[in-house]
Amino acid sequence: MAEKKVTKATLNKSFWRWFYGNLTCFTQEHMQTFGYMWSMLPIIQELYSDKAEQQEKLRTYSPFFNTEPQIGSIVVGITAGLEEARANGAGDIDDEMINGIRAGLMGPLAGIGDSLIVGTYIPILLGIALGFSNGGSVAGILFYIIVWNATSIWFQRTIYMKGYELGGNAVEVIVGDRATALRESAVLLGQVIVGAMSASWVNITTSLRFGEVSLQNNLDGAFPGVVTMLFVLLCWYLMSKKKMSAVKVMGLMLLIAIVGVLIGVFDPGLSYE
Amino acid sequence: MTITWFQAAMLGIMSMLAASTIACLGTTVGNYTLNRPLIASLFVGLIMGDVKGCIQIAIPMQVIYIALVTPGGTVAADLRAVSYIGIPLAYVTAKSQGLDLGGAEAAGIAGAMGALVGTVGTVQFYGTAVMNLIWQHIGWAELDKGNFKILTAVETWMPIISHLVISFIPVMLINRFGSQAVYTFREALPMDSWYMKALFTVGSMLPAVGMGILLNSVVTKPTDLIYFIFGFTIARSMGLTLIAATCVAAVFALINFQMKMNALEAKKGGAVAVDDEEEDI
Repeated sequence: MAEKKVTKATLNKSFWRWFYGNLTCFTQEHMQTFGYMWSMLPIIQELYSDKAEQQEKLRTYSPFFNTEPQIGSIVVGITAGLEEARANGAGDIDDEMINGIRAGLMGPLAGIGDSLIVGTYIPILLGIALGFSNGGSVAGILFYIIVWNATSIWFQRTIYMKGYELGGNAVEVIVGDRATALRESAVLLGQVIVGAMSASWVNITTSLRFGEVSLQNNLDGAFPGVVTMLFVLLCWYLMSKKKMSAVKVMGLMLLIAIVGVLIGVFDPGLSYE
Repeated sequence: MTITWFQAAMLGIMSMLAASTIACLGTTVGNYTLNRPLIASLFVGLIMGDVKGCIQIAIPMQVIYIALVTPGGTVAADLRAVSYIGIPLAYVTAKSQGLDLGGAEAAGIAGAMGALVGTVGTVQFYGTAVMNLIWQHIGWAELDKGNFKILTAVETWMPIISHLVISFIPVMLINRFGSQAVYTFREALPMDSWYMKALFTVGSMLPAVGMGILLNSVVTKPTDLIYFIFGFTIARSMGLTLIAATCVAAVFALINFQMKMNALEAKKGGAVAVDDEEEDI
């Protein structure tokens, strides 16, 4: 019996199905499961000719799946590689092993994807785009559309194919020491950038005066922008340590604003014309 | 200035394509491209006939929602409503009041409008997720019968029905009728009233919430905050731009990476040395 091999075209089809469909039919019940099955279907159909066998192998991918879907494309690639090995008679690969890998990776990958892609990379790109678009130019928007989509699609496709090549060996690459060191360093970069973004884009000032003395001027003399920084830290504290939702924190800010205006701590000093 | 039925319908279609996590155009193109307020402003601008003005309105909104992380499928605020209801309504409001679209007043209106309609988006997110249950249950039933083709239907055109009901229709109606109501705002809301002052004050505070969300996604221990304060200081006190600050941060990231790798090497080297000694014995 000749060795079964998934063709490049089928791998591409599987990748694009995941890229497009990972969340299109999202529900709280199964989240990304249907996207996963839709993506694995071409691979299963190519590896197994018997209809009943196809149905049985597809069932492997029916348990709950949810992660950051862009970085999660590596998991789909890994299972494509594992499925190919299973079709060639690798006895140690069964449903439990495949689902063990899926379940074991979706948690860590969700954390990595949320902090690095959504929490660091996208905000940096948007930050640069905001600079280019200042004053109403489309330059920043075009920059973001092109750079984000090109790099993101390249990255997702690359890790899908890498996952396929490595199969089960990919687990060590993802949660290994080197990957952890790299990730922690990228997050450190993110921490500094968030500080720079806060300083550039947030500006909260107090109008409180003691006779001739402006509190804002004195505070800025000691540490420029300290009021702004404390507000950002307060929001972070409420959400991370007090587990408040972002909507509740926004409500609290509204309350602080109203009370602050009434007692004279805040006054934007604006007018129509 | 109002929004016509045609413009409202176009905004409705855009909101479907970009609808947060469950976008018609998928995660990368839908959610993380068209759904971002800054990017949306180009399309809203084309629909409204004023690209420059809509981008100016969207810039303060984008700052507030710079990092919208949706851990475990729960959303803080769904940006489709901020982008495709908030931007057009804030634009029409600012325009009808004769405000400078790049000015502080317009920014205040934009921030407040985004926060106001953001909750509409949250309802839409959960509504779509619930309605998709219908398609998934059809999918499970058909899969049991061995009908694999159903997967393509469940993943492509079926969720579009959810979007038509939950995105297209509400976004179109709110844009059409909301834009007529904004005319009366100016008379009802004088700038020196306490509530307008509070509105603009909260408008300046909302970006702090956005930064708080972002900080939460990168900070794991309290000492990490020192890097945040460092970044704040180099940008505010030393006047570095964002790109310049990224370069400085990259140096620290690289040093950190090399230190970590050295520590790993040392550990490995030590282990090997011990092995060698044992072999000698």
